[in-house]
Amino acid sequence: MEKSKKHLSDRVPVYALIWAISYIGSLGAMKVLSLSQAVSVMLTIVPVIAFALFLYKFYRSVYFMDEVQIKIQMEAAVVAFGLALLTIMTLGLLDLAIVLNQEDWAYRFLVPVFVAYYFIGLFISRRKYHIDHEEHD
Amino acid sequence: MKNTIKVERAKKNWTQAELAEKIGVSRQAIHAIEAGKFVPSTVLALRMAKEFGTAVEIIFQLEETDLV
Repeated sequence: MEKSKKHLSDRVPVYALIWAISYIGSLGAMKVLSLSQAVSVMLTIVPVIAFALFLYKFYRSVYFMDEVQIKIQMEAAVVAFGLALLTIMTLGLLDLAIVLNQEDWAYRFLVPVFVAYYFIGLFISRRKYHIDHEEHD
Repeated sequence: MKNTIKVERAKKNWTQAELAEKIGVSRQAIHAIEAGKFVPSTVLALRMAKEFGTAVEIIFQLEETDLV
């Protein structure tokens, strides 16, 4: 049981990596190659499936986390969600005030920003619970 | 909330990792609880008390600031 728990949580970064590669790959292919609309739509679906799979694995791994780990993940999600809302709100209002360059502020560029927000939340939360500067005894 | 986990661990000569394994949490969780950064659930506190063979009140005590 212990082994399967570890195995499950170890696999989450792998699924995250698969999603990231599929997203960047789809993005690059659609940007560089002149593809038909049908192929482009299919390429859009690939990272969606990869992300759904990652989300499912991540959600399942939470079940095997302990209380502190769950709280850290929850707080990281709260920070990330709050910052994501703030970004969307700011960009939405700015888009009315001044015309934003869609090449700079397209939705696709927000994805890595939101991922960064999660890691910011994770960093803050881990520091809060002294996870990053623990002593070993 | 203050705790005597470190003292109880020393009595048993257990490391954080050993205690963590006995009660089914991560070593980081033990560290956070021991440092007073995280207050465990009742179940976890009772599980810890059982492993130490003592009462939960011996391990966890309220501080002045916790009293209403």
